[in-house]
This record gives sequence, C-alpha cells and structure tokens, in this order.
Amino acid sequence: MRARLVRSGPRIGWRLPAWAPARTLVLFVGALAVLYALPLVVPMGDYAHDLIGLTFMYMAAALAWNWLGGYVGQISFGHAAMFGVGGFVAARIALSTGLPFWAGWLAGGLTAGLYGLLWGHPTLRLRGPYFSIATIGVGEATRLVATYWDPFTGGSSGLSLPLGQGPTKFALYWYGLYLLAAVVALSWWLRRSRIGLGLLAIKEDVEAAADVGVNATLYQDLVLVLSATVIGVCGGFYAWYQAFIDPQDLFSFDRSIGFVLMGVVGGIGTILGPALGAIVFVVVQELLLASYAQFYLGIYGLLLVLIILFEPLGLSGLLLRLARRLGWRPAAGRAPAIAAGPASSASTTEPGPGGAT
Amino acid sequence: MSEVLALAVSAVLLAGFYAAMAYGLGLIYGVLRVVNLAHGGLIMAAAYLTWVLFTRLHIDPYLAIPVVLVVFFAAGVGLYRGLVRLLPRGAEGGVQSLLLLFGVWLILRNLAYLLFSGNDQAVRTSYSTASVRILGNSFAVTRVVVFGVAVIAMLALHLLLRHTLLGKAIRAAGQNPRSCTLVGIDVDRIYALTFGIGVALAGLAGLLASTLFAFNPSYGAGELLRSFVVIVLGGLGSVVGIAAGALVLAFAEVFSIYLVPSYLTAAVGFVLLVVVLVARPAGLFGQRVLG
Repeated sequence: MRARLVRSGPRIGWRLPAWAPARTLVLFVGALAVLYALPLVVPMGDYAHDLIGLTFMYMAAALAWNWLGGYVGQISFGHAAMFGVGGFVAARIALSTGLPFWAGWLAGGLTAGLYGLLWGHPTLRLRGPYFSIATIGVGEATRLVATYWDPFTGGSSGLSLPLGQGPTKFALYWYGLYLLAAVVALSWWLRRSRIGLGLLAIKEDVEAAADVGVNATLYQDLVLVLSATVIGVCGGFYAWYQAFIDPQDLFSFDRSIGFVLMGVVGGIGTILGPALGAIVFVVVQELLLASYAQFYLGIYGLLLVLIILFEPLGLSGLLLRLARRLGWRPAAGRAPAIAAGPASSASTTEPGPGGAT
Repeated sequence: MSEVLALAVSAVLLAGFYAAMAYGLGLIYGVLRVVNLAHGGLIMAAAYLTWVLFTRLHIDPYLAIPVVLVVFFAAGVGLYRGLVRLLPRGAEGGVQSLLLLFGVWLILRNLAYLLFSGNDQAVRTSYSTASVRILGNSFAVTRVVVFGVAVIAMLALHLLLRHTLLGKAIRAAGQNPRSCTLVGIDVDRIYALTFGIGVALAGLAGLLASTLFAFNPSYGAGELLRSFVVIVLGGLGSVVGIAAGALVLAFAEVFSIYLVPSYLTAAVGFVLLVVVLVARPAGLFGQRVLG
C-alpha cells in the first residue's frame, strides 16, 4: 500500500511506511539488540538460556495464532495440526537429505501453510463457534492420521533428529529471536496496514465488509496461510529444540489449547498481547510442572473463565487499565481505530499510539 | 451378507448412543444459541459419577439414572445462573461463551484428574460380558440396553417439548425471546431450565458411555465432536432429526471399515463434520428450532 500518513520533518530519500512509526521502530530495534546481547553480557545458566529461546518460539506462535484468532476473530482449536506438520517435515528433511536445518524449517512452514489452506479455504466461510468446532475436527483427524502414519512420523515411537547436523540448543536462542522479530514485524504490519483494516471489518461483520469491497475469502485465506506457515516454522524449531519428536506430543489437543490460552491470556486481538500470554504460559508451565503438575489445566481453565468474565482483553486489558490509572491517555482518533473488537481498547505494549502527530 | 447385517445392527445400536449424546448439545444450542463446549467434559464427569456410585455404593449403573439426571440438572442450572447468563448470547457472544465453557471443561478435566488420577476406568457389572442374539448375530447386552434408554429419552424429550406447557415455553423462547416476555414467560427461567435439561441429558450420555467404554479425564473431545456432527447433520428441526443425524454418523463410521483402516474410523466423523459444515453451512441450523 501507499504510505498516506507521511510524517512531517526533513524529507529524506525514503519514507517510513505508515504502519511503522519512527518511535516504534527505535523501540523494536533497541529491544532486539538488548535481547541479542543479553546472553553474551549477563551470565545465565543453561536452563534459563534454553528456556528463553523456547519462549521466543512460543511468543512467535502465539502471535501467529492471534492473526487468525484475534485480528479476524476466528478462534482455532486446531493449530497443533500445523505445528506438527512443520515439525515432522523439518525432521524428515534433516533425516533424509543433507539440506541445512533452516531449509527444513522453511519447507516445514510452507507445507504447514499449504495444509492450512487446504482445510482453511472451505472452513473459513464458517463463522464463530462453527469454525472453532470444525478446527477441533481438523486437529483431531490430523492427530489420528499422524499417530498411525508410521513411515512418515515414526508412529508412537516418534523420530530422533540427527544431532550435530543442526543448531545446538544454545544457538537456538538466537534463531528463536530472529523468528520472533520477524513475527512481531509481521504482526505490526498486518494490523496497521490496509489489510489490517480489512481484517477488522471482517471481524465486525463479514457481509458489511464485502459491501465495502473487502474480499473476505482472500483476506482470511491469506491470514490463515501466514499463520499456518509461522506455526509450521515454530514446529521445526521445536523439533530441533527437543531433538526428539513424537506425534502424540506435537499434534495433541493440549497443544492446540495452549495456543488458544496464550492468545486469550495475553489479550486476544491486540498486537503484542499474545506474546505476553506466551511468556506467562511458559513461566506458569515451568513453575507448575516442577511442583504442582496436576493443577495446570485447572488453573488455565480458571484463568480463562475469569478473563472472559472480567477482562476480555486479558493481560493487555489489565495493563491498559493500569496505564490509564497512572494518567496515560491514548491520543484521540488513532487508538480506537486499532481497538480490538467491540470492547474497544488499544494494544498494550504500544507506546503512545501512532506517535504525537 | 450376514456381515453387512451385523454391521448394520451394530450401527443402529451405536446411533442410539450418539443420539443420546447429541440431545443435550442440540437443545441448548437450539434455544439459547450457545454452543456448550463443556459438553464433552460433562459427559466425562457423569461417567465418573456413575463409576463412583457403582464401585463405592454398588448401585447398578442403569438404576443410577435418576440420581445422575438430578445431579446434572442442578449442575446445569447452576452453570447457567453462575456463568452463562453473564455473557451475551447468539452470534456476538458466540466466541465468548465458547471460550468460557471451554474453561469450564478444562476445570472439569483437572478435577477428575485430581480425584481419580489419569488411569482408564470402566464400569464392569456382572452382565457386562453377557450377549444377546439379534438377527443371527451376538451383541453385548449393555449396547442393547443403552439403545433402549436412548430411545426412551428421545420419546420423553419429544413429549416434553411437544405436549407440555413447559415444552411450549421452551420452544417459544428459542423462537423469539422478546415476544415471550410480552406474553408473560420468564425467559431467563426458561433458559436456566433448558440449560439444566441439556446438561442432565449430557449426564445421561455420560452414564451410558461408562457402561460401554473405558474412560479417563481426557475422555469427551471425541464425544463433543460427534454430538456436534449429529446436530449439524440432523438439524434442530426435531428430535427425530437428531436421531436421523445419529444414524448417518453411525453408519458412516461403522461401514467405513471397508474403506479405511480401523484406527481411522474415528477420523471419519471429523471429516464428515468438516464436509457437512462446509457443504451446508447455513441450512443445517437455519432458523428452525427444536420441537
């Protein structure tokens, strides 16, 4: 799209696109640099280092889930299907060809994207609960096929990756960071570009959106393919992180639930909320798995009930309330435009929406 | 030929159970326009309740039906009054109530896990292994009894909806809640009762399931999906529609063994769901209501 919101100031050879104001860009690059250098400067144990790397992947996955679940409002309970496809394609490529690991991630991502298109194109016509239930069907059918497809997935005994051919767990920290950075940029672009407005329109009312010229089928397919591709790449990352993958784990319903929870806890439909949700998810999982493994589903269930009843925007909504209490006022005009659905509110981690134009 | 016949009888018996699973989900959706995503979890919970009544108090599972119905009716009314009522219904509230009831499902799963561990359980009565001969083939007694109970439940639901004042009020609330208020029907109370009846029917399905299958706290995802397939196939036009939907699903699953390996028969239902949702997305639920 053509950048219409050109900031005033000295004209230089190129312009920043409207969806990436200077302040946001500076923050983004700054955060990236800090996270890049963090393990080199601050001494941290292997456990923390690896866990942060894994968290980057989950943050990316949660954001990708949110493109469909939040921006378009189509809640998917079946994203584990693409996670598994990506993971197993990456593992198979590593096992049977000499291609570098990133080629496997890419191939896994693209396969997952195509798979998403295959079931998504017909089902995305459904709205709300119907789509959600259809995705449970897709996820469960995929899990059943994968579990019994021994020649490809290794069946119940799973697959071991050829260690030494790919990145070490230590190096995965930075690959996770690159993945996350790309996904954050994509999230920002998807929401702030013309496409983002189209997606919001679809979320509010498909027919009205079609009346004003939004091609709902094309937009939704596009978002699903993007989301599925990223989830597939995340699956490839996870395969290398674990070095051993098992269809019962990668394709499990609980994994699909995990993506939903990260999105809802962080703030469904906000730009960066789900990444926050992913951090909470991983931290809670690690803390609880250590001492109270038997409570974790119930705690997520309770969290879900409380969030839906009291704060539909999750942590993002809480932070926003806090910010308001502390005297921060969203600039009029711009903020509501990016609000998430009927319960209007801006995204969280966004500093002064759109800058002080 | 006799093999086909055996499979057909088997499918009919299975259809009875599937219909029993679907009544509750269909009733709640038809009247409140809320998809009860906790349906599978409630089925699982009822299976455990039956198991506890049987192993601790030695109550025969089929004689425990009134107990389970009462307990789950109360739970359903509580669930409606405590949670579901607070959310908008219909299209705009669809996703919210979906996620809320999903949270309830997770809590139920966790509770079952805490109370009964993750091991598989089953209700084994003295007659669990007995069989009867139907059209020259043997079938487990429990499957025949489950079919009978499902048919009785279907008739009872039909009579309730068609031939009582309460049934009329429920159908009216499903058609037009606003007009109900005008003629003096307490819609909120009707919703609470409907949710209670729907959950009680889920409880009945869980009881029946416990006598047929082994179960654990994760049990219920497949049951939720199958229930949904049945109401999508049969529509909400009538109780008979649900029975028809259950027959289609059961025959598709049972006869799919000629086409796909046996471990994939469960996937047949899921594929059928997606195909049907896509092929007839609007017409299946339509504007029709239960009755």
